[in-house]
Amino acid sequence: MKGTYIGELEELVLLTVGVLYNDAYGVAVMDEIEKQTGRSLNISAVHAVLKRLEEKGLVNSQMSDPTNERGGRRKRIFTLTAAGRKALADANELRNQLYNQIPKVSLQFQA
Amino acid sequence: MLKATPPRWADRFLSWYCNPELLEEIQGDVYEIFARTLKSGNKRMADVAFVWNVFRFFRWSNIKRTKRSQQTPHLMMFQNYYTVFKRGFFRQKGYSFLNVFGLAIGIACFLLITLYIKDEFSFDRMHSKADRIYRIHEIFEADGVGERSASQPFPLAEAIKNDYNGQVVEAVRFFNFQAPTLAVATTDNTKEFNEARLFFTDSTFFNMFDFKIVKGDAKSALSNTHSIVLTQSMSQKYFGDVDPMGKFLRFQGNTNLLVTGVMEDVPPNTHFQFDFLVSFQTLKESYNGQLPETWYWNPCWTYLLLKDPSDAARLEAQLPAFVQKYFPDFIRNDVTLELIPLTDIHLKSHMDYEIQPNSSITTIYVFASIAAFVLLIACINFINLSTARAAKRAKEVGMRKTLGSERTQLVTQFLFESIMLTLLSVVFAVAIVLLTLPLFNSFAEKQIEWTNLLEPFYILLLLGLPLALGFVSGIYPAFVLSSFRPITALKSNASQERGATFRKVLVVVQFSLSIILLIGTGVAIDQLNMLQESDTGFTKENVIMIPVSRSPIANVYEPLRNELLRNPNVIEVTALEEILGSKHQVGNYNFEGLEESKPFPRLNIRHHFLKTFNIPVVAGRDYSEDIVTDDTLALVVNESLVKQMGWKSNEEAIGKKFSTRPNRKIVGVVKDFNFTSRHQPIRPLVMDLNLNPRAFDLFIKYMAVRISKDDVAGTIDYMQKQWKAQMPGWPFEYFFLENNLENLYKAENKMSKITLIFSGLSILVACLGLFGLSTFTAEQRKKEMSIRKVMGSSDSEIFLLFSKRFFVLILIANVVAFPLAYIMMKQWLGTFAYQVDIDFTLFILAALAAALIAFLTICYQGFRAAHTNPAEVLKNE
Repeated sequence: MKGTYIGELEELVLLTVGVLYNDAYGVAVMDEIEKQTGRSLNISAVHAVLKRLEEKGLVNSQMSDPTNERGGRRKRIFTLTAAGRKALADANELRNQLYNQIPKVSLQFQA
Repeated sequence: MLKATPPRWADRFLSWYCNPELLEEIQGDVYEIFARTLKSGNKRMADVAFVWNVFRFFRWSNIKRTKRSQQTPHLMMFQNYYTVFKRGFFRQKGYSFLNVFGLAIGIACFLLITLYIKDEFSFDRMHSKADRIYRIHEIFEADGVGERSASQPFPLAEAIKNDYNGQVVEAVRFFNFQAPTLAVATTDNTKEFNEARLFFTDSTFFNMFDFKIVKGDAKSALSNTHSIVLTQSMSQKYFGDVDPMGKFLRFQGNTNLLVTGVMEDVPPNTHFQFDFLVSFQTLKESYNGQLPETWYWNPCWTYLLLKDPSDAARLEAQLPAFVQKYFPDFIRNDVTLELIPLTDIHLKSHMDYEIQPNSSITTIYVFASIAAFVLLIACINFINLSTARAAKRAKEVGMRKTLGSERTQLVTQFLFESIMLTLLSVVFAVAIVLLTLPLFNSFAEKQIEWTNLLEPFYILLLLGLPLALGFVSGIYPAFVLSSFRPITALKSNASQERGATFRKVLVVVQFSLSIILLIGTGVAIDQLNMLQESDTGFTKENVIMIPVSRSPIANVYEPLRNELLRNPNVIEVTALEEILGSKHQVGNYNFEGLEESKPFPRLNIRHHFLKTFNIPVVAGRDYSEDIVTDDTLALVVNESLVKQMGWKSNEEAIGKKFSTRPNRKIVGVVKDFNFTSRHQPIRPLVMDLNLNPRAFDLFIKYMAVRISKDDVAGTIDYMQKQWKAQMPGWPFEYFFLENNLENLYKAENKMSKITLIFSGLSILVACLGLFGLSTFTAEQRKKEMSIRKVMGSSDSEIFLLFSKRFFVLILIANVVAFPLAYIMMKQWLGTFAYQVDIDFTLFILAALAAALIAFLTICYQGFRAAHTNPAEVLKNE
């Protein structure tokens, strides 16, 4: 099934949505990623990823109240779903699990 | 808040391509970024960023698409219409079934009949030169007596081709000795059959007709004497899987014919069917080395290939001169030649001596009107049921209007639904046709392929009909219902009957048509029975006919006859020229009082003819075996001839001279009898005694044996034994005269069968409609009936009240149908020489039948209306 696997950028956006909590919409996500990682994404790319995540059921969305700075247009606010949280936890766990299995030696050599 | 706006065109482009569901957020984000960049002070940068972003958003997932959920509202509604249609369809299964099924039957009938008609019109059109091929007919009549012959004298083909070579490119003759069958056998005599479909024909046959030859050379196959071309199935019959080319077939037991070609079987839709073609040259042997040169005997069917179809009229204008030039003096003034296009022969040619019996255009007209009637009935049915059912949906319409439906949307909805229904019926109709085609083929004696339905005409019909019918049946409810004011539609129970008059008129039309069909069928069957069963004036029961033409019977006829008569069950034996009651020939006779000889129908006979067929003598005497000069000096005629000659009485006719030779006199007059089918009135007839042994070559074709009805099988056995004893090696074949004569009315028989079936179906369809309509009315008047009941109406009163209106309709239908049926039937009967009197009890019967069927149909609903518990109906108020 589509959605059992999330890509790197997807994971990043998903994390950001979690970070931003109730204020995660297109531009905010783009800004946050740039601030946190230094990666500058195009807004359309962010939209595409958010849409994909929603299709996979990892985030939910609803329209916010209209604001002035957007000429009265509403924002689409994204929030993590249970599945989204689980996906993040799984990814995190997998990463840690793998990281922990790395022999100390190889780490030392690297240093 | 914004001091500056982003580039307008980019913004517009965005709103143009963007999926409306996504537009707001996307636009919001690009505007936000634009505002932010602007704040940093660079309007140009902001513009570029805006345009850039707009283009970056231009990706597949954001573009407006015609996915159903994203359609414009108008198109989106179709999904809703479909859902509503589906629910309605399944909620009222009964209605839907009646509606679709009734229409499907109607369309199926229509399709079957048009397939039949189309097949009839396809006759002889497969030849590439069909439009230039004509057959030439010889009408040989004086004072309306004589023959209308489809065939010509031998030399005509040659002469007409020479004299009019500017117009006539080719002439092809067919000849079969005028024999009902000819004997064909393999050279080792292992297989011998009497073949009815063998013709002698000119070598140019394949130039004129496009019949396909699969083995041998079409150009030369029939050029040489003693060549024969046979069809593939005949090749199979005589030679099995062996290649027949270069092999021999024995013809009439004495002539070997070389197989020079094999052709495809003749398609069923040609007016002449044949299995064997023998080269015309071969005939010379039978006529002392050269083809007959007489212009009197006319046994050759002659086809002309013209240069141009327009030459026909020019050629026809020259034919009288042609007749004067070639035909002998004594018939010159009685002969007219006519051309008939090849493609008209099957439906329009009804000459004497057709190669095989043809169809008639009248039958086509009858079928076409039945097809139209049935389809009309079915369509009316459909319209009736649809409109009735639509009236129940006033509430839905009210609701839709309240929610903002426009009138055009409502109209679209109703049209959509009725077109869906008709499409469904068409699908069913095609299924019915596919299933019943083999059955239909078997009783219509056709080989119609279902693939005919794939022709553009049917495709167009099958698509056009549902559209048109759906439109017509949808348009009425569409406009009436959409005009409802929502408040009226919603508030009342809206049980006022809309379009009731319209529906009543349709029901009347429908039943009128059905009653006309019923009466028509009745009259047709009456007429057929009259033709078949009435007294023909001679005994046809238990008469066995044995084809003897061109057999070696001449020398053994008398001994064979005597042997047969020794069996007590054999009553009388004679021999004659043609099948009595079916066919005759024509001869020229000069009776006392005529200036020159004239053509008269004639039968050559042997002694005991009158006794065999029980034909009474009304004046004078029968031929007698004791008077040896009877063969030449005496003649027996019928009453009609006496009348035609203007002699005052039958007695006066006795002793009248015939021929210019001395001492030849009429010796007997017999009572009139039908010597041809009853399609024609009785005409004058000469029964000419012909004892010449050579007569069996041409003038005497059948032996007729009347037997008693006891032990028929034993008698036939006995006859066969005697036959074999007298003529060893010659096949004994026979048929019963009575059975053969039934074939005369085969066309009528077939027609009445088809008419009966289709008029039955039309009644069925009409009843389906009536049933649906009565159900609907019952529903509508439920409340009224219940209140009446509460007020004290009895069950029978309610029942009567309910069914009364339908009976009024049926009554009106009868009033409309009777005169129409009468006029139509009079016209049809006008095509017959003998007409049955139109029986008015038939009209009453048809009316009663229609009323009874209608009664049974509405009975159920009437009964229900009368028997429901009023409380059940009224409690909902």
